[in-house]
Amino acid sequence: MSSYHKLEAKTVQELKDIANKIRIHSITSTQAAKSGHPTSCSSIAEILSVLFFNTMRYKVSSPRDPSNDRFVLSKGHAAPALYAAWAEAGLFPTTDLQNLRKIDSDLEGHPTPRLNFIDVGTGSLGQGLSIAGGMSFVGKYYDKASYRVYCLVGDGESAEGSIWESVHFASHYKLDNLVTIFDVNRLGQSEETSLGHDVETYRKRLEAFGMNAIVVDGHDVEELAKVRAKLKHLRRRNRNTL
Amino acid sequence: MKNSTFSEKMKKVDASRHIECFIAEQSLVGTAIGAACRDRTVPFVSTFACFLTRAFDQIRMGAISQTNVNFVGSHCGVSIGEDGPSQMGLEDLAMFRSIPGSTVFYPGDAVSTERAIELAANTKGVTFTRVNRPNTAVLYQNNHQFAVGKAIVLRKSDKDKVVLIGAGVTLHEALSAADQLAKGGIGARVIDPFTVKPLDAETIIQNLREVGGRAVVVEDHYPAGGLGEAVCAAVSLEKGIIVKHLAVPTIPRSGPPAVLLDMYGISAKHVVAAAQEILKL
Ligand SMILES: Cc1ncc(C[n+]2csc(CCOP(=O)(O)OP(=O)(O)O)c2C)c(N)n1
Repeated sequence: MSSYHKLEAKTVQELKDIANKIRIHSITSTQAAKSGHPTSCSSIAEILSVLFFNTMRYKVSSPRDPSNDRFVLSKGHAAPALYAAWAEAGLFPTTDLQNLRKIDSDLEGHPTPRLNFIDVGTGSLGQGLSIAGGMSFVGKYYDKASYRVYCLVGDGESAEGSIWESVHFASHYKLDNLVTIFDVNRLGQSEETSLGHDVETYRKRLEAFGMNAIVVDGHDVEELAKVRAKLKHLRRRNRNTL
Repeated sequence: MKNSTFSEKMKKVDASRHIECFIAEQSLVGTAIGAACRDRTVPFVSTFACFLTRAFDQIRMGAISQTNVNFVGSHCGVSIGEDGPSQMGLEDLAMFRSIPGSTVFYPGDAVSTERAIELAANTKGVTFTRVNRPNTAVLYQNNHQFAVGKAIVLRKSDKDKVVLIGAGVTLHEALSAADQLAKGGIGARVIDPFTVKPLDAETIIQNLREVGGRAVVVEDHYPAGGLGEAVCAAVSLEKGIIVKHLAVPTIPRSGPPAVLLDMYGISAKHVVAAAQEILKL
């Protein structure tokens, strides 16, 4: 990992601070809306902080620019965290976040393209990864462009068979511009997921499907940022998963 | 599936424009929705009409995603014959009609199918084109102008007493029923709706008024949610119009296509009987 330059202490602190802001926005906005999934949001606060403020390449002024990296939140119920990330990135005022789920706000319970920074509606679990696969296929083979596609999947969500259809597709077509992130937080809706915190089994399954699986602590911004350097390295070996 | 749907022919035209998604319909539909994002491509999804039902959730979400994906469902109805009910699309019209903003093409011959695909590529929102398995006669000149929501009156005389509406294979059954009715001295007007959604209510109602308000609709689909219910909905506020609806009433079985059309009450013979019956009402 010689290509990895250790993050400066200041950057690490900034990423941690943004993660905490995403967490706080998620809690206050769902509190204001009197509904939502603040814990599912908190689970991905560091991941979004590192993606949006360290890893992804995109123009805040043009969120759906063809040359931008794409991000698909397959676990769409964590929308408040995604809204918070875009607000913190400067797309709209953070005060708007308090309008979550209101009748006159497009910050709906789950993301839809009524928002200019959302490509596809999510919220029906198991669908985001196939969409991200389609985007990646087009990026690699039609646009022949360098944009990457990031897709965030819940661990409970990964029980959906369609996730594995999509993993198979990504692996078969060597979609090295696709980064799939499984958020293994042990919990589903009403109880533990079948695999709990058994990240080894997730890793083995993904590798069996031909993915490069990297297991990291999803709340450690330094570890997450390191993956970016690993991805550059892995790009040559195709097909990435986190 | 590409050898059954003939989508493999696309590979011969330009292999780079064909993405094999294997036997994974949910992933197939999601991949197309992803490919359509940011207007990078104009995707067509091709498989048997019946297997698209497996991805209804993805299609429903596609509407929420404002997608422009085009679906083509082949092997619709009992007219596929010997393969039996597991392979017959009999709910697909209901499914695609229910999608907000969708356009549903049901072309009746090769020329109108080609135009349907061209129109679909240029139509916003989800489109669905329902195609048959059996070879059907060509009905239209190559230069016929087709449009979304524009029905075609294929048979017409001043003495018509009834309107027959069919699509795909049943359009051909309606035409041969009109021939048989003519022999018995009953003029029948035949309408090809071309699109089931939007349905050309104006043309249908105007022609119904001209013949005295009696119609027979015949379709290779279950009764719920298909062409028949679309026509009934279109005329529901019209006084003096009655509609007889012929559709596949039960779970069908394997057999020769013509025998099945007859067995499930949607062949020309049944259209003739239905027309005679409705004229007595
Ligand atoms: C297809 C589908 N089934 C069920 C639901 C209802 N649902 C919403 S969130 C959730 C739990 C998701 O768990 P997980 O993917 O582990 O995400 P977490 O909230 O734990 O981060 C469920 C079952 C849904 N949105 N979509």
